[in-house]
Amino acid sequence: MNKILLIIRREYLSRVKKKSFIVMTLITPMIIAGFYGMMIYFSIQGIKGSSNKIAVVNNNKTLTEKLVSSKNATYTYVNKSLPQMKAELAKTSYDYVLYLPEFSLDAPSGIQLLGTKQAGLSLNSRVTDDIGNAIRNQKLKESGLAQKDLDNLKSSVDIDMKKIGETGREEDSSAGASTIIAYVGGILMFMFILMYGIQVMRGVIEEKTNRIIEVMISSVKPFQLMMGKIIGIALVGLTQFILWIVLTGIISTAAVKIYADKNGITQTSVSAALQRQNKDKMIKEATDKSPIGNIQKSLANLDVTKIITLFMFFFLGGYLFYSALYAAIGSAVDSETETQQFMFPVMMPLLLGYTLSLSVVTNDPYGNIAFWLSIIPFTSPIAMMVRLPYGVPDWQLALSMALLILGFIGTVWVASRIYRVGILMYGKKTSLKEMIKWFTYKN
Amino acid sequence: MLSVNNIVKQYAAHRALDDVSLTVEQGKIFGLLGPNGAGKTSLIRIITQITAPDSGEVIFNGQRLNSNHISQIGYLPEERGLYKKMEIGEQVLYLARLKGLSTAEATKRVKYWFEKLEMGSWWNKKVEDLSKGMQQKVQFVATVLHQPELIILDEPFSGFDPVNAEIIKNEILELNKQGATFIFSTHRMESVEELCDSIALIHRSRKILDGAVEDIKEQYRNNTYWVEYEGDYNTELPSAIFDILYKDTKKGKTTLKVQLKEGQTSNQLLSVLLPVVNIQRLDEVIPTMNDIFIDKVKTKD
Repeated sequence: MNKILLIIRREYLSRVKKKSFIVMTLITPMIIAGFYGMMIYFSIQGIKGSSNKIAVVNNNKTLTEKLVSSKNATYTYVNKSLPQMKAELAKTSYDYVLYLPEFSLDAPSGIQLLGTKQAGLSLNSRVTDDIGNAIRNQKLKESGLAQKDLDNLKSSVDIDMKKIGETGREEDSSAGASTIIAYVGGILMFMFILMYGIQVMRGVIEEKTNRIIEVMISSVKPFQLMMGKIIGIALVGLTQFILWIVLTGIISTAAVKIYADKNGITQTSVSAALQRQNKDKMIKEATDKSPIGNIQKSLANLDVTKIITLFMFFFLGGYLFYSALYAAIGSAVDSETETQQFMFPVMMPLLLGYTLSLSVVTNDPYGNIAFWLSIIPFTSPIAMMVRLPYGVPDWQLALSMALLILGFIGTVWVASRIYRVGILMYGKKTSLKEMIKWFTYKN
Repeated sequence: MLSVNNIVKQYAAHRALDDVSLTVEQGKIFGLLGPNGAGKTSLIRIITQITAPDSGEVIFNGQRLNSNHISQIGYLPEERGLYKKMEIGEQVLYLARLKGLSTAEATKRVKYWFEKLEMGSWWNKKVEDLSKGMQQKVQFVATVLHQPELIILDEPFSGFDPVNAEIIKNEILELNKQGATFIFSTHRMESVEELCDSIALIHRSRKILDGAVEDIKEQYRNNTYWVEYEGDYNTELPSAIFDILYKDTKKGKTTLKVQLKEGQTSNQLLSVLLPVVNIQRLDEVIPTMNDIFIDKVKTKD
């Protein structure tokens, strides 16, 4: 037992001391925090809106209904001709010229939006919608509807999504946030298992190509060496994960504080001004509907501690499950280039679990496929991470965890039998058939 | 100290060891010889418990070989290596601790050996920064550090320049004097003659020869002599005493290799030659381990 601890210690320290590990561990949280910051920044920008001033040149006598300005597009009707506007646009304060030619309301055509810069997709659809609305309103009026009835037609639909919790308590549903957490969890899990599984394989190959293996095996049992390596690298993974969470937390908190301090005054003055204009209801709606507001609201409803704890469990389980197989592959080859043929069958279930989890499971987190993917140990670490934010019954969680533990005990056992033979084989190209034969060797 | 009894090791289609038995005595240097692929490494792997035999047993100090013996055996494999990115001192300590030494004890001994072999300045160097010969030295230290009773060396001198080879040879002899038993596998027969007390020759998975080096040589003496003389002796004359195997004459000096016939002695050879020529040299041809090795392996083929 003491020997396995020595091996774990060496495997752990030799990796944690590496420059690449330190750099990765420090840089990633900054990237995450930066990404998060950018997301917030852009969504705030989106709410404030980049207002486009559009000059409307209307040559269409049938379209008397005026285009309604919104926060993204302000329409001003001008009494100038198109060529005139075109020539003067750069000098005016308008960003675009909208040209409405003579057309029949049944087949509008020849409409042009001109500007010094290319109009973006969102502006394009905004303007298209506005014109469409104007034409529809015009038609409705022509068919005899009064303006009062028209106003009555508008009804704002706002669905308040709630999920009924196990205790019967209503919880704010967090579909948006759940999806994001599910994606992040799934991708992270896939990355971690693959990254650290391959590190195990590399470590085994390194020992073989360095020819230190025989010295090692004359001191320790192959099983001790393999498990020492696997556990040591698992601890490296956990260290990195925990550091990422802690560092991301620190950086984000610091960044939010700095940002808030800087913008505190502006924010209050803005809201005061808005109140004066009696538009606070609209702003509140805008904030509520903005993705960030949603995410932040629903993040509070997700049990983050539970998710992180389970992430660590499923990472360890999934990693042990796969890294044992990677160790077996590493033992069977002489160099990394030879690993391809064995990598494929091991990668397959992992990749399958990954792609299905991010497509099928996120769409239907309670369905049959989601259930089975999150129960079978080959895919359960990823699929369960993806399902978790949507809520998983305790019995399913327990079953999945139990099967994963049985699963990795199984793969470790199989792998160790291949490993003990493989590490001493040099210079031979190994086939899958041969590996199966090694498995049956008695010691 | 070590006896290997009727070991059989079968790999899929190939029998690596076929009923091999041998005994290594306490405090001796034992040579394990054989052509490439004979099964030496398979046998060593069984003694070092890297693999287990299909049948037969190994007795170490009167006990069946078990994992308690790991710390009493030191093994320097032919295919050897170290962790490239690890510092030398740390690495040797690690290997010593895996053999069961405490950190304090291991540190003390590593320092002692590094001092002795003039490796003191290597402590913080990485393996990849050392030459091959230097790496071999580190490995030798790692092999003997835990003061094993039995030290198994597979081609210990490969990669060493003559100076370092001499240093290592002297260390082996010193350790041997202190009581360590050696098993020594090599293809360099001159070092076998120099170091080994007894040998076993393995060929095609079987032991074909074993015993004390002196006894084996004695056994292979076949009454052959080198004679060198000045003067004329008609070598064409048939002789009842000897046969001439080889003759060479240069500047009036003749060198003969003769084999005495059954029951004849060197004195009788001299009595024939003395009246005619001026004898300058008479040597018995003692077969070298090299000759015996080649002879044995070839006749078996």
